[in-house]
Amino acid sequence: MTEVKLKLNGETRTASVPPETTLLKMLRETFGLTGAKLGCDVGDCGACTVIVDGASVNACLMLANQVEGRDVLTIEGLATLEHLHPVQEAFEAFASLQCGFCGPGVIMSAKALLDENPDPTVPEIRDALSGNLCRCTGYTKMIEAIQDAARILRAKEHA
Amino acid sequence: MNDKLRVAEKELTQEMLRDPGEALRAPAVTPSVPYPIETLVPEVRQQTPAVGQRATRPDGRLHGLGQTKYIDDLAFPGMLHAKIKRAGIASALIRSIDTSAAEAMPGVMAVLTGREIPVNSFGPSLQDQPVLCDERVFHAGDGVAAVAAVTEDIALEALEKIKIQYEPLTPVLDPLEAMRDDAPKVHPPASNIYSHKIIKKGDVAQGFADSYRIFEGRFRTQMVEHVPLEPHASIGMWDSNGRLTVYSSLGRITLGRTDIARTLQLPINRVHIVATIVGGNFGGKNEITQEPVVALLAKKTGRPVKAVYSRGEEFTSSTTRHPIIMDYKTGVARDGKILARQVKLYLDGGAYCSWSETTLGKACILSPGPYNIENVEAEAFVIYTNKTVTGAMRGFGAPQVCFAYESHMDDIAKALGIDPLEIRLRNAFSEGAISPTGQVLHSVVVRESLERAAERFGWQESRS
Repeated sequence: MTEVKLKLNGETRTASVPPETTLLKMLRETFGLTGAKLGCDVGDCGACTVIVDGASVNACLMLANQVEGRDVLTIEGLATLEHLHPVQEAFEAFASLQCGFCGPGVIMSAKALLDENPDPTVPEIRDALSGNLCRCTGYTKMIEAIQDAARILRAKEHA
Repeated sequence: MNDKLRVAEKELTQEMLRDPGEALRAPAVTPSVPYPIETLVPEVRQQTPAVGQRATRPDGRLHGLGQTKYIDDLAFPGMLHAKIKRAGIASALIRSIDTSAAEAMPGVMAVLTGREIPVNSFGPSLQDQPVLCDERVFHAGDGVAAVAAVTEDIALEALEKIKIQYEPLTPVLDPLEAMRDDAPKVHPPASNIYSHKIIKKGDVAQGFADSYRIFEGRFRTQMVEHVPLEPHASIGMWDSNGRLTVYSSLGRITLGRTDIARTLQLPINRVHIVATIVGGNFGGKNEITQEPVVALLAKKTGRPVKAVYSRGEEFTSSTTRHPIIMDYKTGVARDGKILARQVKLYLDGGAYCSWSETTLGKACILSPGPYNIENVEAEAFVIYTNKTVTGAMRGFGAPQVCFAYESHMDDIAKALGIDPLEIRLRNAFSEGAISPTGQVLHSVVVRESLERAAERFGWQESRS
């Protein structure tokens, strides 16, 4: 077993997992955070996207002990009791998700993009979502929602 | 004892039930109120107010919060993980299955083979699909044994230790070859052609005789997998009264319930299916897959058992879209008006029927295209091959034939020197048109749609 200590959604957490455990498996099975999904297990679909030290990563391609001492943010850490994250709010308002299985990954990719680039162009949004496959919606509503969330985040920044 | 029992007369019972404070009871059925039902029936071509409105989904918030629970997000105390061993050979007889080494592995709680399944066949129309193969393998993605273990990794390792001896048979992989009399039979002694449909309108021979030119073309489409983001998943568990609960990513739970009850030889009321949010279906989750396997492994172990397809299994062992070989023959007048069309469709059905009959019917009915044709003959066959099962997928055969008849129309337009838009407008269905099967069509806006689309994207400008 390997011991892992990480900052998970703002809290310090520890886990003891077999060394071959992926970050995704640890999040889902050890911590019960099932928002990140297993879609392909080979880093193609992006349903497992989480943010590690500010960068979006495929949790199925990272080993649990690679996040030792690092800061991991999952979809569960995005909203507070009072407020949804603007991206979540926009995804709801624009009906950007249909079956929703790809949603947590897409939203985490969008969040990582907006943290870096508060005013992304459509090609930049498409590029940021290039690692997230969706089979239902056709992406259009997601892109509109991300643009809307970016506007709201920028307005908050200036307020 | 019995003769002392008094059973009240029916009328008396009803009287007694009615009597106490009937006026105080809420009516069992809401009394009918004057309700303008007429206005709720949409007029032909009337748009409802929903069109153009922004709608949010009731499940949208939990989706965005990552709180929606799909099957793989559920866990139960003591739950085991199951994996299915795939044949990896297209056609073979199973000589022997040795599961002893797998059973001896620490962490392996049960192994299941096809012979242990009470009724080892299922399917939405023909019951030609084994849950796990017992005597014969019909395609490489077939399941041949299953393991339930304390972790998924142990289950996967145990699959490697199951030894199966096959006697390989010659597989038949091409539907046209499979139609020949001397072709190996996929399900002997049954014919490889397992469903057939023919549609006739008018007199095609006369139509061709009257034609200025006759065009022929063969079109093919490939196999397509649905690739739902959520792989097939199910969890089976039994309660102390011998009732089975299955959590499943099934899209058609009532149909699935019947199939599960049948394979397990249970009365249908002993089976409880819980379907949660489905993470993408597109027709690929319209029938059971591994549900009887998790149910039987749960019965053997007395524990809940979960199974989730790998992405690879989604491609090899779930249903796909039918590849179709489509032969078109069309006779036209000098002005491009279609006088006769003959279509022959050969649907590659894969190893099992699944929803092939529905697909065959729809492909055949739609194969002449949205055009007024007086003389039509469309014939379709669906054929067994030793390949991945084909079944329901969005459109049920309509996209394949659309590709063929529109490609064919382009070929005809080019040969006659007519604008591709113009040849379609000359032939397209109009309001009140009659389809090849005799259906009178309403709300027909083919011409208007084509004209508006052409105008919007500058069809004429781009060609001048």
